[in-house]
Amino acid sequence: MSALFSQNPLMNGPNYSFSDTPVSHPNEAHGELREHRFNPYTDNGGSTLAIAGADFAIVAGDTRLTSGYSIHTRYSPKVFKIGGTTADQKDATIVLSVVGFAADGTALRERLDAACKMYRYRHGKPMSVNAAAKRLSTMLYQKRFFPYYVYAILAGLDEEGKGAVYSYDPVGSYEREMCRAGGAAASLIMPFLDNQVNFKNQHIPGSGEGHAIQEREKKPLLREQVEILVKDAFDGAVERHIEVGDGLQMMVITSQGVEEHYLPLKKD
Amino acid sequence: MVGKDCVAIACDLRLGLQALTVSNNFPKIFQYGDVLLGLTGLATDVATVSDLFRYKVNMYRLREERNIAPSTFANLVSSSLYERRFGPYFVSPVVAGLDQKTGKPFICGFDSIGCIDFAKDFIVSGTATEQLFGMCESLWEPDMVRLDLDFRTLFPPGIFFYMMILLKNGQLNHDVECSTIMHIICTSDLNFTNASYQSTFATGFDEFFANNLNLLDDLQCPEDLFETISQALLNAVDRDALSGWGAHVYIIEKDKVTKRLLKGRQD
Amino acid sequence: MDHRPQNWGRPRDDIYGGYDVSYMAPNAEPNTHTQSPVVTGTSVVALKYKDGVIMAADNLASYGSLARFPSVQRLMPFADTSVLGFSGDVSDMQYISRHLTSLSIDEAYGVQDPLNAANLHRYLSKLLYSRRSKFDPLWNNILIAGFDSDDKPFLASADLLGTTYSSPSLASGYGSMLAQPIMRKYASTEEDAAKLTKEQAIKIVKECMKVLFYRDARSLDKYSLAVVTRKSGEEGGGGVQITQEKLEGMSWKFADRIKGYGTQTV
Repeated sequence: MSALFSQNPLMNGPNYSFSDTPVSHPNEAHGELREHRFNPYTDNGGSTLAIAGADFAIVAGDTRLTSGYSIHTRYSPKVFKIGGTTADQKDATIVLSVVGFAADGTALRERLDAACKMYRYRHGKPMSVNAAAKRLSTMLYQKRFFPYYVYAILAGLDEEGKGAVYSYDPVGSYEREMCRAGGAAASLIMPFLDNQVNFKNQHIPGSGEGHAIQEREKKPLLREQVEILVKDAFDGAVERHIEVGDGLQMMVITSQGVEEHYLPLKKD
Repeated sequence: MVGKDCVAIACDLRLGLQALTVSNNFPKIFQYGDVLLGLTGLATDVATVSDLFRYKVNMYRLREERNIAPSTFANLVSSSLYERRFGPYFVSPVVAGLDQKTGKPFICGFDSIGCIDFAKDFIVSGTATEQLFGMCESLWEPDMVRLDLDFRTLFPPGIFFYMMILLKNGQLNHDVECSTIMHIICTSDLNFTNASYQSTFATGFDEFFANNLNLLDDLQCPEDLFETISQALLNAVDRDALSGWGAHVYIIEKDKVTKRLLKGRQD
Repeated sequence: MDHRPQNWGRPRDDIYGGYDVSYMAPNAEPNTHTQSPVVTGTSVVALKYKDGVIMAADNLASYGSLARFPSVQRLMPFADTSVLGFSGDVSDMQYISRHLTSLSIDEAYGVQDPLNAANLHRYLSKLLYSRRSKFDPLWNNILIAGFDSDDKPFLASADLLGTTYSSPSLASGYGSMLAQPIMRKYASTEEDAAKLTKEQAIKIVKECMKVLFYRDARSLDKYSLAVVTRKSGEEGGGGVQITQEKLEGMSWKFADRIKGYGTQTV
């Protein structure tokens, strides 16, 4: 994740495919002296994905937890229900996914959940997804100089009942989008989503020559279509990224509440 | 990328110096007879290596009095790169071609010192490898055929209904087919909710697949390969700041090589 | 007139002398925290089974490559309901152990149920995470075994960064590379682990300890083995049982049959 676009052979020596395979001491690999200092972060791998529909939103994440080449566990969820009235979150309407450093992810999730519960206590109503989105941004920015090393995605239904997906960088910069992939395999999944959700590079055949050609009309996908896309995206990511696999956790947010599904992924 | 009885190879056109775009017309694919070579990496080495192989392939043709086969060329690339083991050319080549005798598709990739990666499906290389892996892994499938025919004129509409059931049960997992069929269903004004269709056209669907084999010959395999490789490349380079500015796509069939120029995003 | 604004409104240097900047730094030296472990323990392995959890760790505390303290127990019972297994820094282990002992005594005065393993794991992960956030980590990887609030077998890990995870089998240090594959062969899922008997689970864990002793240079042939079972009403029934084990009959006879690497030529 550290070097999303460092595939340039000039920047890190001759290479053919992944240049940022995990190394135990990155500096040593380049023959530099290593300063012995406690590193408060680690990358626990994994990938997440969220897609907004007309009246639903889907958030998915794999369940593998890694560190370097080790698989710590095959089931460690990174998609969570947020802001329910009880500990089991069965009446929650907002979903948060966190990927990156798992301990920071847990801390952030608990803080946001506590903030949502405090909001409910003070205002006597559940927090809207756009309010929670803003609150999450503030939380991340509060730790601007010792950041939560996580790529967060928040999803729910907005005040009009439409699917809403908010994506964040580790220091709280955020944006509402139709879809977003995060984590280790984000660069593998994101172009696929551009193509299949936002219909990028798709045109109407025979609609014109050159610049006159018309783009395919953008409209939100059906839930069945989105579920297939999510599975296909993860099957692709599992095949080509060692930190992604084991299981796929999927949360579907509708006006009826949040459904949770689990599907097995390849465990190799 | 491999298709049914055809292969394709594509490249973007950007030449950059880190973030600075130097040229927007720098093709990275070179044709030697019916073998094609793609080269990414350091531009001077791309030029040197492409000329080196032009020379080597021509010498081969003069000595052997025949064209070089893709697999032979792959070994030539590998040994030539390994000659420079401790001072390598900074390139990651990709080779694509059809075997002259068997007509079987052949593709492979290399690292900068000549380690060959034979693949049955696709090879990617360059600054957008991650994005390309993601795209290819999700769009590619074996023996791609184009199914943009209007099924409504060919088959009873209930077939789509039945296919949807299979799709839901996970019995049908053909991305292109599914999305095409789903699209037709979503855009058609026919009412598929009538359950009586289900039994009536269950047999129709089986017949469809029984008859499908000869239908396959009429379908446009190279066209679908072209669409797949183009979509894979364009969407991948759009998510890479160091690639883009249009593309060249070559489709290699038994008796012809088609080259197409794609415009793509110019930013 | 001094035209430099940063000097305005200050006592004059020519009368009071320049500002002594050393007042700004209260300590002559910066604070020092644990930057690396000193006396360390190696792997801990643990495996869930039908009605509990088995955990094992050898009794060695190393000082670098020196086998410094050969009889340090790295498994700690907690309130006779749970077991903790420590790898990493031994002084930090002793600090946590002391802290938890006093915690368990405090808790025992209370009216609530005693803390179970899940509670303890949550508590320790918060402790470890808050210490890492102060850049003053407790240099340990701790495995916690016992039962959760639903009285199901519980096994989880918390490390010096505050990362937490649970699995049917867990191992820290070299154990994650050498022992985990063995344990996953027998119990890759919770369902598989729930089929194991106590005897089977002990046998698997002992096998792991043997492999670790053979291949981990910082290990010892004397180890502690803990069995955590549900507490029953009668005296001595269930709870935490820790026994001392010794690996017997070590043999490297198999070594000359290993071929394909090293300096062998045949």
